Amino acid sequence: MTFRDQIEQHIDHFAEMPPLCQRLLGYLEDPDVDFKVIRDTIQYDPGLTANVLKLANSVYFGAVQEVASLQAALVRLGTRRIFELVLSLNVSGRLVPALPGYGLEANELLRHSIWTAVAAQELAALLGMKDVDTVFTAGLLHDIGLLLLDPFIAEQHERFGRVMDEQSMAFDQAEKEVLGMDHAEAGARILERWNLGAGMAAAVRWHHAPNEAEENHSLVYLVHLGDMLALSEGVGTGIYGLQFSVSAEPVRALGLKKHHLEYTASKTLDKMRELENILT
Amino acid sequence: MAQIIVDIADMRISKNPGDTLITYSLGSCVGVAIYDPVIGLGGMIHCMLPLSKVDREKAQVRPYMFVDTGMQQMLTRLYEGGLRKARAVIHVAGGSQVLDSQGVFKIGERNFTVLRKILWKNGLLMETQEVGGNRSRTISLDVGTGRFTIKSGGRITHYDLP
Repeated sequence: MTFRDQIEQHIDHFAEMPPLCQRLLGYLEDPDVDFKVIRDTIQYDPGLTANVLKLANSVYFGAVQEVASLQAALVRLGTRRIFELVLSLNVSGRLVPALPGYGLEANELLRHSIWTAVAAQELAALLGMKDVDTVFTAGLLHDIGLLLLDPFIAEQHERFGRVMDEQSMAFDQAEKEVLGMDHAEAGARILERWNLGAGMAAAVRWHHAPNEAEENHSLVYLVHLGDMLALSEGVGTGIYGLQFSVSAEPVRALGLKKHHLEYTASKTLDKMRELENILT
Repeated sequence: MAQIIVDIADMRISKNPGDTLITYSLGSCVGVAIYDPVIGLGGMIHCMLPLSKVDREKAQVRPYMFVDTGMQQMLTRLYEGGLRKARAVIHVAGGSQVLDSQGVFKIGERNFTVLRKILWKNGLLMETQEVGGNRSRTISLDVGTGRFTIKSGGRITHYDLP
């Protein structure tokens, strides 16, 4: 059996989307659903409700006016964003444990993911881009494939060591060479099962190969650049260090200059710290 | 033995021989350790970005985020603490890069360029210069002995006083 086959099997056993999120997603897709049903579904969990409100009032949404209740949050932010917020809170827990294969200690993947999400969102804001609702969540989820591949990486540690010694090879290429699948594809496979929509799946699938995306370019580009900024700042660099390729196309297509990227990095640190307190 | 962690965009100074200054995971950021062996004074900074002009407001609140404002303040504080230019032992590490064949993302390179210029203008020489590549680095300075250590990709290298 090839590694690819083993990974495929592993996807089948991989944890499903959290049940609460599944229910909410179901409601979201139903145009006739009553607002109150969504509110009550979340309110059933007081801890979650408190965290949703904290997030809604955080820099995540650049809140100008405090939202005091779940009802108000739903009205102001809309059900889709509230769903993404609940999903973010659920997923962040899964990003906490150490990943020995990738050489990441506890919390490192979560910090890397939050950094990526904040940077991607800051870039979107800087560019005055509107239709990028999902950018934060896509950034948070972009490396979820690491969870799936970690045991395989650990098992093939020595081969990775050898392949990585060829300095010019990007780590996702090494994953493809050794395992037949990189973490971006693995992550997209999980998201496809979760039914989160084509944009989110594309952002995860192509975050290391943004030129290959056929649609949803803005979202893919923002997540790619957010990820590259996070790696550049040394946030969540495991055995791969900074050995990933940055693509010139997103920089060109979005019309970004060096000072835009550096300005974004300067804004990201403090916002990332605020969110880290909520999400951990 | 106290370990003093220097956060990203921060700077710390110590004169206590039991202390070790440490900063984790320098990617494109640059870390600078400065030590005066005669008075046993050490400082360490972890700068993210080259020039404060990209975000002046942030530079007011977090001067150590930027190489220009950060180094200026670090040197001022060290001179106040008794550092003499002629005795300063300076170690520099970081400035790594993601793979960037088209040169769109040169934060690491720019950080080091600005740093080198500032040191040169101040008449300061680097004892250690471990920059570039695409690994991240963790650095520490033992305030008691002046030993500087770089950890990167499982390798540990010590630099004792010259």
